[in-house]
Amino acid sequence: MVDPIYIIAAALGVGFAIGILGNIGRNFAGGLTLATIAFMSFVSAQWFAGFYFGNVSSSYIFTAGFQPPLSINLLMGAEEAFLTFIVNLLGLLGGIYLFVNFKRKGRNAFVIYLVLLMGFNVVIMTRDIFNLFVFLEITSIATAGLILIEKGNRAVGAGFKYLLATSIISSMLLIGIIFAYFYTGTLNIDMIIESNLRYMVGGPIIIFLILISAILELKPFPANGWGLDVYEGAHQGFSAIVSAGTATASLYMLYKLLPIASPEWSYYIALLGAVTFIGANLLGVKQRFARRVLAYSSVGQLGLLMLILGLRGFLGPNVNYVFFGILITNILAKTGFFWLVGIVKANEIKEWAIIRRKPFLLFLMGVFIFALVGFPPFPSFFSKWTFVMDLANHGLFGWISVIIIGSFLEAVYLMRWFGYAVKSEDDYKFDFKIQIHKITPIIILTALLFVIGYFTAQFTETGAMINFIPLLFVAVLYFADALPIWVKNTIAILGMGIYFYFTYPQLDNLRLIFEVIFIIGGILTLIAGYNYKGKRQGFYPVALLMFAGLAAIIEAQTTLEFFYGWELMTAGSYFLIIRGKKSMPHALSYMLFSLGGAYALLMAFSIANIGVVFPSLDILNNIANYPVWAYGLLLAGFLTKTASVGLHIWLPGAHGEAESDVSPMVSAILLKAGVFGVLLTLIGMGQSTYDLGTLAYILGWVGAITVFVGNLGAVFQEDAKRLLAYSSIGQLGYIVFAFAIMTHLGWLTGFTYTINHFMYKAVLFLTIGAVVLRVGTHNMYEMGGLIKRMPLAFIAVLIGIIALSGVPPLSGFTGKWLFYNAVIEKGWYFQGVLVFFSGGLAFLYLYRLIQTVFLGQLKDNLRNVKEISFWFLIPIYVLIIGLMVFAAMPQLVLQPLGTLIANYFPNNQLVWEGSYAYTAIGHWTGTGVMISIMVMFLGTLLLVKLSTRKAHKLKQFDIVFSGERPHRPETTHVAHNMYAGFYKAVWPFTLPAVETFWNWISDFIHETAGFVRRIYSGNGQAYMLHIVLFIIIMFFITIGGTI
Amino acid sequence: MSIYLKLGATLLGFLIVLNWGMLMSAIFRKIVARLAGRHGIPFYQPWIDLLKNIGIRTTLTHGVMFYLGPIFRFTGALGMFLFMPALFGSDLWANFSFQGDIVLILYFQLFGMLGMALGAGEGGHPHSTIGITRGLAQHAAIELPLTLGIIALAIQYQTLSLNEIIAAQQGGMANWSIFTNPVAGAAILLAALGAMGHSPFNLVKAPNEIPIGPPTEYHSTYLGVLMSSGAVLHVMEAALFMNLLFGGATSWPEFILKTFLIYFYSVFVGAVFPRFRIEQSVVWFFKIPLALGILAILLISF
Amino acid sequence: MEFFELGKISLLIGFGLIVLGFWGILSQKNIIKIILSFTIMETGVNILIVSLGYVKGKTAPIIDSAVEQGANHSVLGQVVDPVPQALVLTAIVIGFGTTALLLAYAMKLFKAKRTLQINNFNDLKW
Repeated sequence: MVDPIYIIAAALGVGFAIGILGNIGRNFAGGLTLATIAFMSFVSAQWFAGFYFGNVSSSYIFTAGFQPPLSINLLMGAEEAFLTFIVNLLGLLGGIYLFVNFKRKGRNAFVIYLVLLMGFNVVIMTRDIFNLFVFLEITSIATAGLILIEKGNRAVGAGFKYLLATSIISSMLLIGIIFAYFYTGTLNIDMIIESNLRYMVGGPIIIFLILISAILELKPFPANGWGLDVYEGAHQGFSAIVSAGTATASLYMLYKLLPIASPEWSYYIALLGAVTFIGANLLGVKQRFARRVLAYSSVGQLGLLMLILGLRGFLGPNVNYVFFGILITNILAKTGFFWLVGIVKANEIKEWAIIRRKPFLLFLMGVFIFALVGFPPFPSFFSKWTFVMDLANHGLFGWISVIIIGSFLEAVYLMRWFGYAVKSEDDYKFDFKIQIHKITPIIILTALLFVIGYFTAQFTETGAMINFIPLLFVAVLYFADALPIWVKNTIAILGMGIYFYFTYPQLDNLRLIFEVIFIIGGILTLIAGYNYKGKRQGFYPVALLMFAGLAAIIEAQTTLEFFYGWELMTAGSYFLIIRGKKSMPHALSYMLFSLGGAYALLMAFSIANIGVVFPSLDILNNIANYPVWAYGLLLAGFLTKTASVGLHIWLPGAHGEAESDVSPMVSAILLKAGVFGVLLTLIGMGQSTYDLGTLAYILGWVGAITVFVGNLGAVFQEDAKRLLAYSSIGQLGYIVFAFAIMTHLGWLTGFTYTINHFMYKAVLFLTIGAVVLRVGTHNMYEMGGLIKRMPLAFIAVLIGIIALSGVPPLSGFTGKWLFYNAVIEKGWYFQGVLVFFSGGLAFLYLYRLIQTVFLGQLKDNLRNVKEISFWFLIPIYVLIIGLMVFAAMPQLVLQPLGTLIANYFPNNQLVWEGSYAYTAIGHWTGTGVMISIMVMFLGTLLLVKLSTRKAHKLKQFDIVFSGERPHRPETTHVAHNMYAGFYKAVWPFTLPAVETFWNWISDFIHETAGFVRRIYSGNGQAYMLHIVLFIIIMFFITIGGTI
Repeated sequence: MSIYLKLGATLLGFLIVLNWGMLMSAIFRKIVARLAGRHGIPFYQPWIDLLKNIGIRTTLTHGVMFYLGPIFRFTGALGMFLFMPALFGSDLWANFSFQGDIVLILYFQLFGMLGMALGAGEGGHPHSTIGITRGLAQHAAIELPLTLGIIALAIQYQTLSLNEIIAAQQGGMANWSIFTNPVAGAAILLAALGAMGHSPFNLVKAPNEIPIGPPTEYHSTYLGVLMSSGAVLHVMEAALFMNLLFGGATSWPEFILKTFLIYFYSVFVGAVFPRFRIEQSVVWFFKIPLALGILAILLISF
Repeated sequence: MEFFELGKISLLIGFGLIVLGFWGILSQKNIIKIILSFTIMETGVNILIVSLGYVKGKTAPIIDSAVEQGANHSVLGQVVDPVPQALVLTAIVIGFGTTALLLAYAMKLFKAKRTLQINNFNDLKW
């Protein structure tokens, strides 16, 4: 092992040497600097490796050959090794990134940079409090120095404020230090800790001075304007280092100093962390400039880390796992992001559309944003999970709420930014270049994020159970993105097929149903992808990401695995949705609702996890602590995915604007993930020893109202895909309602609807999507008469709408019949009637769909459109066969389902006698009805055929309308505002109350942020005043009362 | 009982209903004419119309769906007959009611409607589409009190089977649902006004203003088929309400008497009240009929 | 204990200077004056350090004749605490560095906008 003192020695030596050597070449100076940093990294890496493999132990390094208190000593422990390694590695990468920039400024820049890194190292390692002060000052001076020699005046003001602020803070620290020395007679931190300073008269004030300085270094909200400005103003390569290095060093400084103080300080720090985390992220919501967004995000993350530090007492052995997981994610992602900003050079986040010119950079940006927001497989996902679980174990739900609110606010602006990058108009004149020395460090950081994420997962028992193979498959597809579409499509289909083949034997029947919907349904919709030409870049990785998530949900044995799958699925579907042409705002609202839902799930899982040793998914059964909250949160979380009323506003846009084969994926397949979750919750509720009837009752009403809102909304749509999207809302309402009934028949109904909706919604969305591809518009009133051009599509839609409407003999009626029986048996009459009434509304929109698209008058510009693509017809007709079989022989599916449900609800089953089904009150035979109707229909057809002569075929306008033969399809096709009369009757129910509510919430957040952020007036003195006021207020909060 | 005998009886029953329906529509037209101060048609006019329609030489078509529309409609009418017991207590005349309960009938109503709507849609005439949109909107509104009333009955008798509902009403008029459950009965009867499609709820076909709604483009055989379907549907809808509220029928004369009275209840209401616009009729169903339906459920379940 | 003890007076002066410095930083609009206020504060802190190491009647911690004379028992008994004195040297050096850098900033700020009013440098805000 190389002695860590050489880190300092090397840095100092080389720093001086470059200074002394005078006019050496700048390249040489830079090379020497990088070599030194590499050496420093090597030393700390060596130690870190030693600690990782457990063959070294913490060791003190005594300088000047004396023991403390007579000398300064350093400590190289596991934490120090890790942190110095990270800082040095970042320093090395940053050095590479900044090499050209520094070279332009001269060799002094290299020296200052080296000194800065050395400062970080010493601040992390030192155990001497005065030494700490000195090197803190050195880092401040070095930081300010590097900003000063930057070209241009943009950052100068910021640097000045920064230097002034840190100097004042250090002065406070110095006063504290000298008094601490005066009281304890030592400067060694360990000895100060032992000396019980806090029990001495006036000791608390000294501790206050020391800690408040350490806290102020962490830029607590709102006394942090000086820090924000530097992040925003300085060179991006350098902001990254300041953000990552200073954050790391200052956090560790606070960590070291905390034992001096009484335990209440942990609480104050947690509180400050909470305020900072929420405050910074709140203000971030209002930001327009890329750099400033990152600044707020950095400060917010510091707040979160402070929060963890403050609450470390509750984390037990997991404290390092949580702390370092979040720290490392933040460091890697934030640094990478700052550097990315340096490459792209778009100032406003709206201008980030230009990043699309280099898709790889967009990928990097996505990685950083999803890492920061805390998606898997990045380390922060696992750390946050553990953090929340541990907090819940101690009943600290208030703190969990803080984490959730802050994370959510952060997601708001990061996701919005990402949306701009992916989708906003790119008509900017300026361009950017990728330089190899700038991109390489970023790539290394990205790779590290994945690798560390993987190892973070392996670190815990449950994390190690996660199956990463699907994710690896996604990665393969990403790297194969340059291949032609049919190759990728085949790979994807094969991959999913193989996955299904190997996993389905291990699944119980419940999961098998959903696996079939997810994977087989996925394969079917992927087949339609053969229709596309070219490369379709980016589609396959994200589609498969979604399916990987869905597969993980099915496979999940533990709550962590489930949540992992849930988040992957959310990410994948978000990318899929945002691919649509006008999808930017809808994808954002999808993401935000999904995240809100995911956080509700997280909270619920954490409640269920209380006192649990191994968090298998079974802990959701009979949750003992706060069962109403736990199940309520679970349901709320899952209902965001099923788009139940109140949480549904994302769906119409998201599904309506998605690509033709994506709509069925996200509608027919993805929504079932929410259903699966609701089902799991209800299974758990069913086994609860508490009376949760009220919750199920509320869920029932939510479902019923959702049906009404969705179906009524669909009636008045002009856009075919939005109509189907609203219809999905309604259909999912049926499913939720049926499952909420919580009886055998209710669940049977729910499953029937689940299977049915999967099939007919896939048929309808695929067909309409294919039609849209042909005609080039979503607006139904621009279509019409397409039955002549695409008869096969017409038949598909016809069967789809008959099935959906529930008219016998198709399978929709199976659901309706079960529904009546279940509702009457349960006694939910009013909800039931609301649902049945909404079923009547379904006719209105279904008729509109088929009439205005396929019937009526063919438009001139569509006279030559062709039948929909063959590749769409394959899955459509496969699904139609499925629908028909289910309709003719429902017992094939319903009988095994009944056996499955009997595990949960053994009473009042559906009785089968051959093809005849009986409940306590009703009876019906699917097969018989199908035969009867077929015979009647064909008989009538035959009769009519025999009694008519050969019919003369009419041309399009061979009708008489208003006393003349029309000649324009536009004036003859009844389509636009089709239900005007009905609208006059029901318009009060169509008012967008929910949208208004959420808009109000959104405006409220934005206005609050806009108001609060005015404290950052830009005036340096105001910032100093913030610091002083902060100190005074904190003084009164911490020890004011005791004097 | 052999299946052939049963099929034969069902077919015979259907013919009875068909002819009875045609006669009823003639009487209906006659009554309306007399009220308007006209002499009106002879009672055999519908048969003449039917023969004429089938015999017309030219048949035109707008396409396959247009052709299939009336067939859907007729199948719907046939099914309404088939899935409902014609006479109670008779195996021979129970039709195919063993294949499904009242839910099947409620939803099968829509089979003909939907097919007809699509066929008319392919005809491309704007008036067809306008009529259909009105019809669908009105139907949705009717559904509300109707479903509430039917569910109230289903709760009362603890069954969805039409046969069992009729069985429960046997043994004298006092056992009829209309007397044992008058609120639900009222809700259903008000909904029935809409379901029958006479004034004030006849905007769908809107005689005199827009030439006859969905069937606008239909002629010759199609029109014949549609007329026959209409005749059957009128009787069967009356029969549905008879079975639900008035104790069903145990013999054909009873069947004919009861369906006649129920049918002409709606005709007479229509003769007195002027036609609603569509938003008026929808709102009308949302008021008193809906309130009655809710009240019926409240009374029966609490 | 007498009131006008040297250690106490210097302590008070130190605190006074710190407060004065703070006041200056917060109230002065001219950047040079702010920097001067900062150095005043620095000086206050330094005085504080020294006065805390002061022990009444002891001499400087330099081994010279004054110490030798009284060194009958031990050297440590004769001198004031040497550590604060060492610390203050470091602190002064750091203060010097900071001040120099601040002044360099002042120069550059002046070059940028031809003014030294801190209110004119509000470019980055909100």
